[in-house]
Amino acid sequence: MIRAALLALVLASPAAAHHVGAYVPKDNAVTTNFKQVKFSVQAKKFDVALQLYEAGALRTEMRAHAATLPAGLEDGTRAALKAGDGPEVERRLMIFFAALARDLALEADRRLAATGGKPESRAAIAKKFLEAIWRYYNLVDFAVAMRDSKTSVAVRLAFDEAEAAVKPATGAAAPADAARLRQPLQRIAQVLSTLIEASSTSARRDS
Amino acid sequence: MSEALPPTWRVPPWWVLLVGVLAIVCAELGGASMVRFKVELTRWARGAMLARPAVHGLVGVRDVDERILDEALVKFDAGLRLFHMHAEGMGLVIIATTMVAATVARSAAVRRSIIALLTTGGAGYPVGYLVWSALIPSYGLERAKTIAEWLVWIPFGSATIVGLWWLAGLVALRMARA
Repeated sequence: MIRAALLALVLASPAAAHHVGAYVPKDNAVTTNFKQVKFSVQAKKFDVALQLYEAGALRTEMRAHAATLPAGLEDGTRAALKAGDGPEVERRLMIFFAALARDLALEADRRLAATGGKPESRAAIAKKFLEAIWRYYNLVDFAVAMRDSKTSVAVRLAFDEAEAAVKPATGAAAPADAARLRQPLQRIAQVLSTLIEASSTSARRDS
Repeated sequence: MSEALPPTWRVPPWWVLLVGVLAIVCAELGGASMVRFKVELTRWARGAMLARPAVHGLVGVRDVDERILDEALVKFDAGLRLFHMHAEGMGLVIIATTMVAATVARSAAVRRSIIALLTTGGAGYPVGYLVWSALIPSYGLERAKTIAEWLVWIPFGSATIVGLWWLAGLVALRMARA
């Protein structure tokens, strides 16, 4: 009897380890268009970059988020592309993606504040938002670090803290409570808001 | 000096060959349907997932949800592809291994048992991928996987493993005696 049970266990393990494929996250229309524009600008092909920008999802998204973005960001990006001003294009795109990441952090915080239920479901929601935040912020982290290394470090530290709260260490009883999940998200939103404000102000001063 | 006689291969029962061939036919039909109805299948799966936001953990924010939907659709498509691949391969495995069993196993009871294990296991296992794929839109990735595992993969996969090890043992025994 025991032998039979052992045999069943031994056999069940490899049978359960079947192959179901792996998922590699893809770029969405906005991040794809960002990369197209960025690489065209790096190659000094500003006419190509302008075409890609004018016909792409980046500009559409900028218009859709106009209410939460610094005034004139979309027009300014197009003007910088027309003028062949690479650093200015990079700065404006950095502001745009920082704003997208900030808005997601704010929305995540709002959801976590409103969500009742189990800690696991809150952690699952936070994890999904963190993935989306990182997908956008990661695109401009280098540009942020070049301009303001403290902000870059602060965002990364807050992100690490949020990830640790979402994925508790092995053996931990349950994911962190809502308050612990919300703190790093609030910090990400606050740091990015400061970055956006500072970058937009310096742009206005320069222009 | 006499030369050893070459082994005479025996054909497995006709129903086993039929199951093997049917598995390959199903694989081909599945592959062709996957290509022909790709848009319709994706549309159906997406619609079914959007109708069950709680099951898939959708939060109503496009930037978050698009990745969840994309992963589920990729896995839905992967399930169909894996069914195509496994059914094609297992059809051939059934034919080849049952032929070996029919040739090597002398005891009728042992022969029948091994052939039954290899045929049912080999034909059933690929269906698990179809089940997994079909359940993803309604039950979510993990729940669909668990159902497919316990309903199909573990019982039929185990049957194939038992059959193959039994057959391997018999072949080893015959080689040791020769």
